[in-house]
Amino acid sequence: MAQPSRWGTPSVFTTAHRSAGEAFRAFFDMRPDEVDQPVAFSHQLHLEKELVCTDCHEGVERGPVAGLPSVNTCLICHSQIATDRPIIQEITAMQEKGVDLAWRRVYGYTREAHVRFEHAPHIRAGVDCSTCHGDMKQQTVARRVVEMDMAFCVNCHKAKQASNDCLTCHF
Amino acid sequence: MDRRRFLKVTAITGTSAALASCGHPENQIIRFVPEEELTPGIAVWKPSVCPLCSAGCGVIARVMDGDAEVFRNGQPGVTRMGLARKLEGDPAHAVSQGRLCARGQAALQVTYHPDRITTPLRRTGERGNGAFQEVSWDEALGELVSRIDELVGKGQASAIAFLGRPRRGQRQALVGEFLRALGAPAPVSFALFDDGVARHANELSFGRYQLPTLDLARTRYLINFGADFLGTWNSPVAQGVAYGRMRQGQPGVRAKFVQVEPRVSQTGASADEWVVVRPGTEGVVALGLAHVIMREGLRPATAAGRAGTLVDGWAGGLPQFTPQEVERRAGVTAERLERLAKEFVTYGPSLAVIGGAALAHANGVVQALAVNALNALVGSVDAPGGISFMPTEAPPARPARSLRDLVSASPQLLLVDEANPVFATPSAARVGEALRNIPFIASFGSFIDDTSVLADLILPDHSFLESWTESSPESGAMEAVSMTAPPAMRPLYATRAMPDVLLEVSRRLSRPLDPPLPWQTFEEVLQAPPAAAPAAPARAASASPVTWADAQFDGDAATYPFHLLPYASQALHDGSLAHLPWLQELPDPMTTAMWCSWVEINAHTARQLGIALGDMVEVSSAHGSVRAPAVISPGIGPEAVAMPVGQGHETFTRYASGRGANPIRVLAPVEEPATGTLAWSATRVRLARVGGPDGSLVLFAGATRERPDHHGRG
Amino acid sequence: MAHRWGMVVDLDRCTGCEACVTACHAENNIPTVGAAEAARGRAMHWIRVERYWEGEFPEARLTFRPVLCQQCDNAPCEAVCPTYASHQTDEGLNAQVYNRCIGTRYCANACMYNVRFFNFFHPQWEKPLQLQLNPDVSLREAGVMEKCTFCVQRIKAAKSEARAEERELVDGALQPACAQACPAGALVFGDLNDPESRVARLSESPRGSKLLEEYGAEPKITYLQRQGWHEPDAQ
Repeated sequence: MAQPSRWGTPSVFTTAHRSAGEAFRAFFDMRPDEVDQPVAFSHQLHLEKELVCTDCHEGVERGPVAGLPSVNTCLICHSQIATDRPIIQEITAMQEKGVDLAWRRVYGYTREAHVRFEHAPHIRAGVDCSTCHGDMKQQTVARRVVEMDMAFCVNCHKAKQASNDCLTCHF
Repeated sequence: MDRRRFLKVTAITGTSAALASCGHPENQIIRFVPEEELTPGIAVWKPSVCPLCSAGCGVIARVMDGDAEVFRNGQPGVTRMGLARKLEGDPAHAVSQGRLCARGQAALQVTYHPDRITTPLRRTGERGNGAFQEVSWDEALGELVSRIDELVGKGQASAIAFLGRPRRGQRQALVGEFLRALGAPAPVSFALFDDGVARHANELSFGRYQLPTLDLARTRYLINFGADFLGTWNSPVAQGVAYGRMRQGQPGVRAKFVQVEPRVSQTGASADEWVVVRPGTEGVVALGLAHVIMREGLRPATAAGRAGTLVDGWAGGLPQFTPQEVERRAGVTAERLERLAKEFVTYGPSLAVIGGAALAHANGVVQALAVNALNALVGSVDAPGGISFMPTEAPPARPARSLRDLVSASPQLLLVDEANPVFATPSAARVGEALRNIPFIASFGSFIDDTSVLADLILPDHSFLESWTESSPESGAMEAVSMTAPPAMRPLYATRAMPDVLLEVSRRLSRPLDPPLPWQTFEEVLQAPPAAAPAAPARAASASPVTWADAQFDGDAATYPFHLLPYASQALHDGSLAHLPWLQELPDPMTTAMWCSWVEINAHTARQLGIALGDMVEVSSAHGSVRAPAVISPGIGPEAVAMPVGQGHETFTRYASGRGANPIRVLAPVEEPATGTLAWSATRVRLARVGGPDGSLVLFAGATRERPDHHGRG
Repeated sequence: MAHRWGMVVDLDRCTGCEACVTACHAENNIPTVGAAEAARGRAMHWIRVERYWEGEFPEARLTFRPVLCQQCDNAPCEAVCPTYASHQTDEGLNAQVYNRCIGTRYCANACMYNVRFFNFFHPQWEKPLQLQLNPDVSLREAGVMEKCTFCVQRIKAAKSEARAEERELVDGALQPACAQACPAGALVFGDLNDPESRVARLSESPRGSKLLEEYGAEPKITYLQRQGWHEPDAQ
């Protein structure tokens, strides 16, 4: 294997799994039910304040990716709101240092799934966010509450008479 | 979320639940706050200009967000930033017209190349052994400034030299201003295939020191003397678009395309008729055509105007270029010449083009003058279906100095901007040795190549996608084209735009420039460009006729029986693109070869010498030899061998270093006298089989099956 | 009516410049394999330019022919795939579903056009070359067969955009990367079910023929023959 890069990461980008364990877990679709996030962001709390999903997940209506917010997004509000709280102070300090939040994936398909999911057409088709992500008003840190396997997708596509051709999602 | 929604939300107050912070996982790389506003997953198309050749194609880059590993304040980390993912031709650009060639597509890899230089470097070992250490910009600039200060202080500013690739526009103008203010001589441009001979001849014939725009779309009869206009010559994308129209643009009308050249090129492959000539006799054929046209009274000699008077014997109908004489000299039969001449006049609009190998002879200028006169004779200058010269405010300037002038002046300090003369000059010209003797060399290029490896200091430029770019092409469209574009993406590394570095250097000099350069950044230069430099005084517009001179070849025919015909590689061009993996793995259209060099040999010659496909052969001139695998081709005559230029770099990133062979190195250092450009088609060689296949000939295996008759040479 | 995607390749326009080949690499995340693997026949080019020599020096004549997946209606690759990874879609695309592919390579053997490429290894990009990758296209891992998709990601995006804007697709606006790059306009892509589309009209050309038509695979790519020059009637 080649030398690590100057970032301490592998110098080659490849589809290969880095270890047998990683390959094993990917094959059997073993994923942790919960992931540690850099901050314990509460969806519940923010939705109660009448924020909506698209305030932070800006791309969801326009493109394939919903997007995960940077500290810049947090501080649009939190430069003035709840500035006395330790977690907000921590986020403010991060921004001052130029360090961003490294969100981890909650769902996340393995690369071998070859799923090219696009958010925008689903939003346009009137699919509610909660259909796939659960009721976020009931969640603090986002968790995997809906099991999005292929049957889940196919059933919905059938019900809504959307295409179930393989190339609809896999290409 | 925007401000307005924010105000609404702030009106709602309340308490929040206690939040626990988890911090970063230990082993995770730091994520930096993005420096730009990006909507995730949404592509934005940003204009830029392809820098890989002088055609100046406008491109659009598809920019999308992505995670890139970067350094910020010396700290490694990852950040989300806008990244160019794909290049397309810009539909709004009159040259590229929404299309882009293979090389332009691959320009993306310049920015993301794994061996790109990311910080300033200072040489640590012996000159040329490639050992460098990273230094800060402050240190690097300080060193360059002190070197310049020292020379200026000693009154030796004239010993500062600048060597770049041929460019036009404000970047080049700024370099000129900088050198002038410093008291240094004008910058020198160098490229192997620089078309100086064609421009020179066009100035003589038509008063335009410029390459022509070809109105192929309306041409009905095209005779092309060796110019690779569909591959690598002049403005290939614009010419490709026009060629498509010439072929099938109008129902029921299809032009005839005759290619006159000793080896069938990729362009020649598309011709309706291939006329084999001896190297260096293309002009003889052109004059023979003119002879027949005038003899038959199809056009009067005076129709050619000034372009005609430049050719000795024109007014008298070129009596020395009878078809029989052309047959004897060029090897084209008299009947064929008669037929071509009559067709050429009858089925207009007609167009004759010359370029590339046909001009790479010591008699290049007179060859070009012959074709210019032929065009003028049939009225195809500034006419539909003919040649024209793009109206431009900044036509190419006749170079004030050549590489030879630079070398012979023994400069004390050399600034190199991407030019690679160590690779692209014959060994016998001893350019590399001369450069090694220069006490201090600084390079702005993004890669360590055969020339920049000699540098003492490397001040890496941004890639074109990270820079302000300009397009001011000299040809390729009927109308004037001029555009500038801001950077398409933020710089990945601690690189700096070369023009900004020059401006910074000018501010740091201990003796300030007088008058100082009035700009802080290159962006300001683009907004308030320097007054166009006074055009070099037009050469005394001599209209005295030029007498035909036969091409001369280095090496006697008995010892060196073959003409060596180097040609621009479809993928790697003049070798400056050999570092891009997409182009290395691009199968050559004529041979399907990838990642290698080869020698094209006529089947009969190969049989005589016992050479089979893939066998290693040695090509030797009086000045050296190269080895490469053989490819047997029906597209080359028994008197010549051909080799693509592009491989054979000693140093040029992991993908090109030590790969293949460089035919330029064995050429005789013969120059076209009027322009000083290398006559790269003027060397004779001998050929010997030196062994069986060594595995270096890599051919693409894919081919349609089940057709034995199509496999033959498939 | 459903779309039926097809292409016309005008051999009279093709100059062999290979712009299509690099454009395809860039668009579809096709890895380069390096000299050693390329020498073993493992280079991947979803589209290639074949060349056919006729005659001997000095009468030799060369014709270029871009060859890509012919998107056959009666595709031999589909019949032999044990997992239905290779199948026909409603829009006439010969799909290759990577998830289903188990790497038997039967399809590549069945295809007489030789346009299917097997990933003998995991593809690699030496960093930061991975930043060039198109996020809209899958990366294919070792053990998977791949081939031209007619840039299905572009078809999907164009349809999605048209639906969002409540309009029909515009003929010519949707192009695969190869056709978009081609300077000479030799590659024309479009909907064969739209009689007004350029591709439908050109595929009726008397110059048209299909590659290896006699094998009955019913390709959806029509090649327009290269023409010769005939002396016009002198006026």
